[in-house]
Amino acid sequence: MSRGRFPSSVYDVGDEPDARFSLANERTFLAWNRTALALIAGGVALEALGLDLHPRLRLIASLTLIGAGLLFPVLAWSEWKRAERALRLGSPLPGSSASVALAVSIVGVGALILLGLLLR
Amino acid sequence: MSGRALFDPGLQPERTDLAWRRTALAIAAASLVSLRAFPLLIDNPRVGILGVVPGIVGLMLAAGMVWRARLRYSRFLRSTEARRPQDAGGGALLLTVAGFVAMGAICSFVLVLVSVLR
Repeated sequence: MSRGRFPSSVYDVGDEPDARFSLANERTFLAWNRTALALIAGGVALEALGLDLHPRLRLIASLTLIGAGLLFPVLAWSEWKRAERALRLGSPLPGSSASVALAVSIVGVGALILLGLLLR
Repeated sequence: MSGRALFDPGLQPERTDLAWRRTALAIAAASLVSLRAFPLLIDNPRVGILGVVPGIVGLMLAAGMVWRARLRYSRFLRSTEARRPQDAGGGALLLTVAGFVAMGAICSFVLVLVSVLR
């Protein structure tokens, strides 16, 4: 039985899963965080380097990147919890809605940058 | 080697330890760049010194990650098939999230400073 690990919404259900699955879940979480870091770094660089794009579109793209970078660690935490619960209960793993959000973010930012190039 | 059975032939504890270190390395690299770049971006030198805050926070976060990863991995090494200790919960992960969000917020603040003072 769990000895009161955080968060209880995860550890109070089910049984201890195979440690390898837990560790894999954890590495997925860390991969999301590295992705978020890359988005933040991209957003900062885009604005700070003052590239020759339409200024407002560039700023919007930069803020979108940073906003996404702030959002994904939170999404990753939520997905880690859901996956860990599913592992403990032996249920199917939840789908990754964060992946959709990532694809939309990158496509959106790319479109903004393209527009910013065309309209400069 | 001692001939003791590996905790996991798939080397998952090792891979997880490396994942934490990769993450810490990415944060440390970004922090070092920001230490260099942010103060220069802010035109006002007295305000510009605030630009080092994200970098310092980031380096502390990275150091904390590596330290904890080492502690955790040595716990794995000391465990055996018969006596496998319960692994840590999600506290460190939530702290990582908090660290990221804090750094992202500070970076945004610095960016605002940059554009306001430009």
